Amino acid sequence: MTSRFFAAGYSDSDSASEEELVSSSEEEEQLGSSSDEDQSESDSEFGSDSDDSDDSSDDDGGRIRGPSYFLKKSHDDDDSSDDEDTKKVVKSAKDKMFDELSSCIDIVSLAQLDGDWIKVSSEFDRLVRLVNRAQQQNMGVPKIYIKAVAQLDKAITDVQEAEKESKKNMNASVAKSFNIVRQRIKKVAKEHSAQIQLFRADEDAFDRETSETPSGTATPSIDGFKVVGKDGKATGTPEVADVFKTLETILASRGKKNVDLASQIAELEGLLLETTVPFQLISIYLMLIPLRFDLYGRSAYMPVAEWKLAEKNITALLAVLEANADKYAVTETGVATEDLSIEPKANDKGVKVMIGSVASLVERLDDELTKSWQSIDPHATEYVERLKDESLIYTLIVKCQLYYESITPASEFATVAGEQLARVVLRRLDHIYFKPSKLIIYSEEVAWTTLGGKAESVVFGKYSASSEDSKYASGLIDALCSVLYKQPNSVFRKRAVLSHIYYYAFNDEYFKARDMLLMSHLQSAIHTSDTQLQVLFNRALVQLGLCAFRSGLIAEAQQALQEIATSPRQKELLGQGAQRFQQQQTQVDKQRLLPFHMHINLELLECCFYTASLLIEVPAIASSPEYSRKRQQSTRSFRRTLEYHERQIFEGPPENTRDYIMDASVALQKGDWLKASDLLNSIKIWGLLKNQDSVKAMLREKLQVEGLRTYLFTCKSYYEKLSIASLAAKFELPERKVNAVISKMIYSEEINAALDQKAGCIVFIQGVEITKLQELALTLADKAVQMAERNERLAAGGHQNNQIGHQGNNNSGNSNNTHAHNSNSNIKLAPVTGALQSAPGTISGALNGMDRKYRKNHSRK
Amino acid sequence: MSESELSATEVELARKYDLTPKLTAFLDRHLIYPLIMALDLIYDENTVTQLSYDLLKDTYMVKFEKSKFSNLYPGKEFPKELLEKEEFVQKELVRLDEKTKETLNVLAQQSVQEHLKQDKEYNRQFLEKEHGITEEKVLELYEFGQLQYNRGDYMMASDLLNNFRVLSTNSDLNISATWGRLASEIISLEWDTALEELVKLRELIDSRSFSDPLTQLHHRTWVIHWSLFPYFNIENGLEQLSDLFFSSTYLSTIQASCPWILRYLVAAVVSTSPKHHSSFEFQKRLRDLIRVVSQEQYEYQDPLTEFIRALYVDFDFEAAIAKLTEVEVVIKADFFLSNGAGQFLESARHLIFGVYCRVHEKMDLQQLSASLNLSKDEGEKWIANLIRDTKMDAKINESEGTVIMNHPANSVYQQVIKKTKGLSFRSNQILMAALQKESS
Repeated sequence: MTSRFFAAGYSDSDSASEEELVSSSEEEEQLGSSSDEDQSESDSEFGSDSDDSDDSSDDDGGRIRGPSYFLKKSHDDDDSSDDEDTKKVVKSAKDKMFDELSSCIDIVSLAQLDGDWIKVSSEFDRLVRLVNRAQQQNMGVPKIYIKAVAQLDKAITDVQEAEKESKKNMNASVAKSFNIVRQRIKKVAKEHSAQIQLFRADEDAFDRETSETPSGTATPSIDGFKVVGKDGKATGTPEVADVFKTLETILASRGKKNVDLASQIAELEGLLLETTVPFQLISIYLMLIPLRFDLYGRSAYMPVAEWKLAEKNITALLAVLEANADKYAVTETGVATEDLSIEPKANDKGVKVMIGSVASLVERLDDELTKSWQSIDPHATEYVERLKDESLIYTLIVKCQLYYESITPASEFATVAGEQLARVVLRRLDHIYFKPSKLIIYSEEVAWTTLGGKAESVVFGKYSASSEDSKYASGLIDALCSVLYKQPNSVFRKRAVLSHIYYYAFNDEYFKARDMLLMSHLQSAIHTSDTQLQVLFNRALVQLGLCAFRSGLIAEAQQALQEIATSPRQKELLGQGAQRFQQQQTQVDKQRLLPFHMHINLELLECCFYTASLLIEVPAIASSPEYSRKRQQSTRSFRRTLEYHERQIFEGPPENTRDYIMDASVALQKGDWLKASDLLNSIKIWGLLKNQDSVKAMLREKLQVEGLRTYLFTCKSYYEKLSIASLAAKFELPERKVNAVISKMIYSEEINAALDQKAGCIVFIQGVEITKLQELALTLADKAVQMAERNERLAAGGHQNNQIGHQGNNNSGNSNNTHAHNSNSNIKLAPVTGALQSAPGTISGALNGMDRKYRKNHSRK
Repeated sequence: MSESELSATEVELARKYDLTPKLTAFLDRHLIYPLIMALDLIYDENTVTQLSYDLLKDTYMVKFEKSKFSNLYPGKEFPKELLEKEEFVQKELVRLDEKTKETLNVLAQQSVQEHLKQDKEYNRQFLEKEHGITEEKVLELYEFGQLQYNRGDYMMASDLLNNFRVLSTNSDLNISATWGRLASEIISLEWDTALEELVKLRELIDSRSFSDPLTQLHHRTWVIHWSLFPYFNIENGLEQLSDLFFSSTYLSTIQASCPWILRYLVAAVVSTSPKHHSSFEFQKRLRDLIRVVSQEQYEYQDPLTEFIRALYVDFDFEAAIAKLTEVEVVIKADFFLSNGAGQFLESARHLIFGVYCRVHEKMDLQQLSASLNLSKDEGEKWIANLIRDTKMDAKINESEGTVIMNHPANSVYQQVIKKTKGLSFRSNQILMAALQKESS
């Protein structure tokens, strides 16, 4: 078929007509891609509208548009349309090309009327170049071009005859140009001879032919794909077999080298216009859209225009599917037929299920968008422009979800049949889980307005202005996630739960998010998951930490943020960029990165972590600088930074976030909480928090308490008594609070002191400072106790294994596991730092293996 | 039940912290009844009657319903359904009674009882061969038991279900029968048998490899709720309750599905606190309690948990004492706790005083007495008694009006000795256990 197409013989009128059809339909396609207004306008120019009324008007136009008319005032006509064209501001590339073409043709015809053959020659050169370019961009050969060539050819013969008659010679240079043009025209006319002949034969018909094609194909569909007789030649009725023949050749050539994808796409686009048979349309779309993606498979990302075309095609495909929902359905579970042209058998509901996947197409389109986000510089306006396309893809995803909801019964959501739905739902979730509810509402609003009033979703009701914003957003997320939770495939569940956690954490629901994270038991298995899941896990964890910080849970925040914040590879861990000195980035590595607008601000992350560390560490350092140094490995980085800061000889004013925090900790160490608070509050990055005022107030409060504690720790060896009232004044705290803080310190044996209620003061008990040796002895004793306890636990574990079902030890391994989530609420939440390492095999990994073995033994018994 | 009247604000408070709606979700209709009857303290009589009528509407306790109905709507005809139900129940009763009579008679025979063994499978075959008791007949026992329970004949129900359990091999029905028996025993106030049943249930639930962890969770939640009945009514019950609830599986069940149970846990721990608070067991419980209470603070709070938090997390003595007055009201209105109100308050005071002593060196007697809700003289006496009972290192200075605590400095050597005290013994024990295992 391809060969026949390319060889488009001049003699074979059949194939020639087909070629024209292709080209004409491409114009239609161009029109379709431009705005509606544009379409109606240019329609009159091409006369290719399918409306009857337009047809008749075209007939009128056709009468005056005879050659005589052309010679006299064709430029007027063209001018007017040109004027209108210039009024428009926004034009697609195709429109531009078209405008250029038509203006060029105008100039040519003008010049030709004036007899200015030099100008004609140069302009015609330009015209040919333009058309070549148009062909390269898959726009085919525009019809006006054929028209112009035909008319020019005619004009030339006219001029030649006139010359013969008048025997008057042109001047030399004009004659030369005239000859050049004549030769060119001959050549071009030869190339397109068939179309030109057709044009000459019947101009009206030429203009109209596309409008007639649909009626031509309507019959065969009823006849059940019989090959239609060749009577429709002149008007170019397509033959049904041809549609599928074309499809088959394209299918056969897929993945092979040296295939001209662009021409195949053009061909398919042509076919699209010729048919209204749903089965054909669906088949063509299912072929065309992947081809579009193939075309740019190698480049960094799809060009915007192409991307939008693909988006249009998918939308159109969905529209066709929706319109014929009772006859056809496309799913991955459909049965492949032997031949493309055979319709699959209808199932019990009369729906013919075709094999194919709209979900994959949508996913691919989404990926292409992500790719373009990844490769565009995020600070350029282009990025912002591209971001706007998100609402397009989001709408499409919602639409696709609705489609799958309509073809899958709700009872099958949780089965394999529901997987496609789940994939689409996951994409939808991916687009919104990291956004504040306002943005979610925005995309929802756009999506539902585009979809129109009828659409309704089973999973979660549509957005209406009356629904409460934040409630709607979280309701939506919950509903989407609950669909995914029911999936048999665990990847969906994991992604859903992590996105859910992220969303909750982002919206300040710390406890919900934390419980969910603990209950998901992801912590233990995340090391073996794929990288993207690990990145998502780290993101959720960091967000959880930030959430804890915002809600004033300092210790939790510090713990959650710790490993990521202190890691030199934090960018990599969060999927926000590769390590700077990594040798070679593979394509895969690059694709793993998240687009810029999804990033978590690393400076904020660092700021929160160091502030949390400050609140924990400064009193700890004050309490006993030597003893606690080695006690906690976790905050080493804070101490190292602090020591480095203190070593500096020249101390300038703070410049970056870390400087501010270090200065604040120095101030706090001296008991100057007010200065510390001022320094912390002047950090600019807090502005990124949505409730920065309350966070600042929280920080101030914490600083007062921690300042008091630090003060007591530092003063304990120099004072015998301290008045509560003066302490309260110094730290601007109520006496009751001071009392409470001191009581707590005494009760937990942090300081050796007692309160004197009568005198209202704290009395330090002196002489209990311990020496270094004693301190070490204490540590050793602690370690010994720990070891003994560990041994006991191990021994008990073995013991328990031997007598399951014993009433005392009823917490058998299995049941223990299912409910352990809450009892280990203070479990350490560690991010996956080994995530991207090529060789895992950390200690925890090894332990996991042991654990599993143990459980296996257990269950066997 | 104490009949002391509550003031309007107190009623308000009691209603706010009333757990009945939460508890009812996990209890049987028949068990809820006493709970609802106890509500008369905070709701008016009509509401309570209405509630109890609604509650028992779906049971077969027709007589009871009739009396309630006439209480509610004096002078009204009984609704048709009620009369129909009466008839139906009567018919069923006769039918099942006839059917099971034979089986029961067989089982009552001396010779048969002697033949029965531990092996259920054998028993079944034996009974089927010798006396024609088939699976169907056994099932009838269960049905009859259920009917009897539903119409309020708990003794009969308990016996029937027990017989059923001996014969049946159906594990699902067995568990239901055990639940039924437990309920019957609870209602007939047979605490010892109830406890036995409870132990059986726990065994079934914990050992049975539940295919569905969720069902297991539900069953555990029921165990927790139902066990409140016996544990709050027997001696040493609170100790046992603490043991059960602090076991890791049940603690996590409480945290996961019914945090309000923390109220009873707090009550149990506080009420059982020994006079001197140094006992290792108690300290451990207290630590666990403090941890759980502060962990679950975002999910559940009431005056009792708040009391623990104020005292041990915030060290805000005034708040803790203020909470005690609320606690008193809540306890009075609570079905389970109302018995031990005095004990709880007394123990709570001890706890406060204990922490006070740890922290202070010199305490104002006047303030202390006030904070203990006692007059100065009473307070003095109370403290003196306490010092005598617990051998605390403290003295009262009458002329200054202070209590002086003596805090001996904790020597480093002693700390090390204390820490390492049991280590070698413990390690030896482990070693012995390991060696034994090897040889066996």
